[in-house]
Amino acid sequence: MRPLNFKKIFLNLLWPLLSFTAQAQEYKAPYSFFPKDSILVSSVQDQGEDIITQMPNRHHKYDKRVHRYRRAWEALIPTHTKLQYAGGMGLLSWGIGWDYGKRSQWETDLLLGFIPRYSSKHFKMTMTLKQNYIPWSIWLGKDFSLEPLTTGIYFNTVFSDDFWTSEPERYPRGYYGFSTRIRTHIFLGQRVRLDVPEKYRKFSKSITAFYEISTCDLYVVSAFNNSYLKPDDYLRLSFGLKFQIF
Amino acid sequence: MTNRLLFFVLLALYISGCDMLETHPYDVHITGERELTNKNIQLIENKMQGKKTIRFAMISDTQRWYNSTEDVVKAINAHGDIDFVIHGGDQSDFGVTKEFVWMRNIFNKFQMPYVCLLGNHDCLGTGEDAYRAIYGNPNFAFTAGNVRFICLNTNAMEYDYSEPVPDFNFIENELNNLPSEVEKTVFAMHVKPFEFIFNNNVAKIFQLYVNQFPQVQFCLYGHEHQLTVDDLFNDGILYFQCPCIDKRIYLLFTIKEDGTYDYETVEF
Repeated sequence: MRPLNFKKIFLNLLWPLLSFTAQAQEYKAPYSFFPKDSILVSSVQDQGEDIITQMPNRHHKYDKRVHRYRRAWEALIPTHTKLQYAGGMGLLSWGIGWDYGKRSQWETDLLLGFIPRYSSKHFKMTMTLKQNYIPWSIWLGKDFSLEPLTTGIYFNTVFSDDFWTSEPERYPRGYYGFSTRIRTHIFLGQRVRLDVPEKYRKFSKSITAFYEISTCDLYVVSAFNNSYLKPDDYLRLSFGLKFQIF
Repeated sequence: MTNRLLFFVLLALYISGCDMLETHPYDVHITGERELTNKNIQLIENKMQGKKTIRFAMISDTQRWYNSTEDVVKAINAHGDIDFVIHGGDQSDFGVTKEFVWMRNIFNKFQMPYVCLLGNHDCLGTGEDAYRAIYGNPNFAFTAGNVRFICLNTNAMEYDYSEPVPDFNFIENELNNLPSEVEKTVFAMHVKPFEFIFNNNVAKIFQLYVNQFPQVQFCLYGHEHQLTVDDLFNDGILYFQCPCIDKRIYLLFTIKEDGTYDYETVEF
């Protein structure tokens, strides 16, 4: 086998670097390229030049577009994290969420939870998509507020081969007629919010503790026409904490 | 903050004894009695030892009919002369853990021992895990007096060939190890042969095995929610179907010393 020509390889590797150095040289020309980039236009004007450059309109459009683009992606930054105990979504669930609306009365959460093995074959992970509506907030004085009603709906899915979203093909169509994997829950609850005083603020702007009473589709169907089942059979309790990031 | 969080989690775990704090509808977190099949088999075998006349009731498909199930328990208790009860499967509709717990709590009011078969609905989700935890193996057999009761899981469709259903090893093992006092046999299953949940490739072979047992009285099943009696294989062995509990009927069988049996449908 011919020995590798290291010199040639080295030069080839260097080639892209060389081209950069050449570009860097070019950029040293002061502000020669700035008028092309409208974002920096103010700093150009600050130079105290006599002529105020009027930027062409198409650049404004571009600006707006970039602005919009950034705003859209920024809106996806979660505003809070949530921790929830029980409620049919796992023993403990943790996740991120967004609040929005004029008074931040809407909240959407995406939570991951787990189900311990208990007497089943294996440990399972779950995922929950939760929509909350918090119509009122009452200031209690100092740093506390009460949110006397929260309500909403959540959908839970289990990651396990024991469950199906729609029936496997081996059954006649609609034989069981429901999904074992996707559960729909509705809830009512209350919350207390503590606004963390600025000097103690580290990770959270405010912390909210809540409880919820919920039920799921299968329990509603079971309770229907069965006086044997009492509210504590088909209603479920859960607790949680919300940490407001900003 | 971490202290507060820890306190909250500990407090929450502390009250988790309360049934309203639920991990998941399919979590198989079972509170209360377990392994009921073995316990009840012991009770039946001790109670029936040496007896030649056996009277038992059969109920089936009680899913989501809690009120009617409560009523049938009262009716069977009120009858006063029933040795034990066989449940033909489908005590749950969705395989949800709580369905098994609710039903168990109703069945525990039976004044006589009872056994429950595994139904196809009981297999949904983690249902079979809950069944196994509360009752035990879905294939089981017991001796009441001189009659061997062989209870089988026949819900082949729910297993997609991952497990042998019906389990011929179990049946063969029963055949080879029948207790000496056994003179007669009764089979119980949730789904009858030729129904699509059954593995119909082996329906006739299944009957071939059934026929090898001593004096097969009849076979019992549920599943289709109707009251029917059929000689499925035209070999003289009758298959009795127990209707669902919503029909408000239970079956009452009396296996007699003279080699005959009676059956009644009792409305409640």
